[in-house]
Amino acid sequence: MNTNPDEATLALWLDDELAGADHAAVEAWALTRPEQLAARGEIRGWRATMAAAIPPSEEPPYPDFFNSRVLQAIREQTPVAVPQVKSFSWKSWCMPVAACVGMALTFWVGTKTKATPEYDVAGAPKAIPVEPVVYTPENGVNAEWFASQEASAMVIVLKGVAAIPDATDFSETVYLPAEREIDSTASTEVEPTLEKGQQ
Amino acid sequence: MNKPHGETSKVAQEPVGSVDPDAIMNDPDDDFRLVALAQKGDTRAYDELMTRHRGRIFAMIRNMIHQEADAWDLSQEVFIKAWHALPKFEAKAKFSTWLYRIAHNTVYDWARKRKIESSGEFNDEIFERERIDSASFTTPSGGESPDATMANAELRVKIQIALGKLSPDHREVVLLKDVQGLSYKEIAEAMSSTLGTVMSRLFYARQKLQALLKDEYESR
Repeated sequence: MNTNPDEATLALWLDDELAGADHAAVEAWALTRPEQLAARGEIRGWRATMAAAIPPSEEPPYPDFFNSRVLQAIREQTPVAVPQVKSFSWKSWCMPVAACVGMALTFWVGTKTKATPEYDVAGAPKAIPVEPVVYTPENGVNAEWFASQEASAMVIVLKGVAAIPDATDFSETVYLPAEREIDSTASTEVEPTLEKGQQ
Repeated sequence: MNKPHGETSKVAQEPVGSVDPDAIMNDPDDDFRLVALAQKGDTRAYDELMTRHRGRIFAMIRNMIHQEADAWDLSQEVFIKAWHALPKFEAKAKFSTWLYRIAHNTVYDWARKRKIESSGEFNDEIFERERIDSASFTTPSGGESPDATMANAELRVKIQIALGKLSPDHREVVLLKDVQGLSYKEIAEAMSSTLGTVMSRLFYARQKLQALLKDEYESR
């Protein structure tokens, strides 16, 4: 090469990026220029220093998690296929119409059907009024009753029943629950259920 | 890291000992096959693509913003955005270059949002060097002797601090070229820039970095 290479070509040669005829031409030109050969050697040394000091590739921390997280993000960001809107079909409007026709037909059939016959209850058996019967628990005790529809009241009079002595303690006829010990660990919120008194 | 599909047949064609696993993992042809499957909705293929490229994207973003937790989130954002943009992806460029471009936009959007939230000015302070987590830089990369590991760890800290003093554009172009190994053309695609701009930025970025690392650099 008799003429100097342009700057771009020289830069490519210095960084070992030239190939083929271009490379051969610049190599021939540089043979008589030791400063260019030295510059290329310096750049080669620089690149080797950098390559030794800084690795071009470093696995990121948790590499498997790295991939799975990216893939998950991709899945989340990928739009879900929207279900296609059903095209217009005869079913879409025919079914409601058929339902309306069915209801109208049912109503019409109902109006044309024979009405339910009224039953004659005149001949039906009637209830016979029965006098109330009063039973008494003891022999010799007579009971009579008096009823008044106006007063909506009924009175039963018992004759022959012995008088109740004044000393009778009616509390004995009432069930009173016995006092219980209160368990300090038990809940006091629960109220005891009262039983009904027995006669 | 999982082995890519179809790796066996490719390895068999190569002489023993000459196979570069990293090259296989980033085989553009196999990337295109997985991309074609992912474009049809195959999430397993996309999972494979992520496994292949997450390391480089994460390293690139972390070296840009110097914050591991944010870099983790932003790297995820890159892959989520890439999935949604997959239908637009054409095999004109490598899948990895396309990812770097999404990463570039994601990081700059993040910086812009932080600027708005903090009501500050959009400047290099968004990518503050003070936030550098020095402990994380000393992680051994494996396969090195303890001395070499320590020396590289120290050098790495110094380079990271020096990178933090560059503008985001200069830092990014250095990382893409000298760390990630992209060509000028790929960097121009990733940064939505011209070839001339990339060359100019790289030239000045290297000069500044070498000046910042003068002592370290000359001792080697």
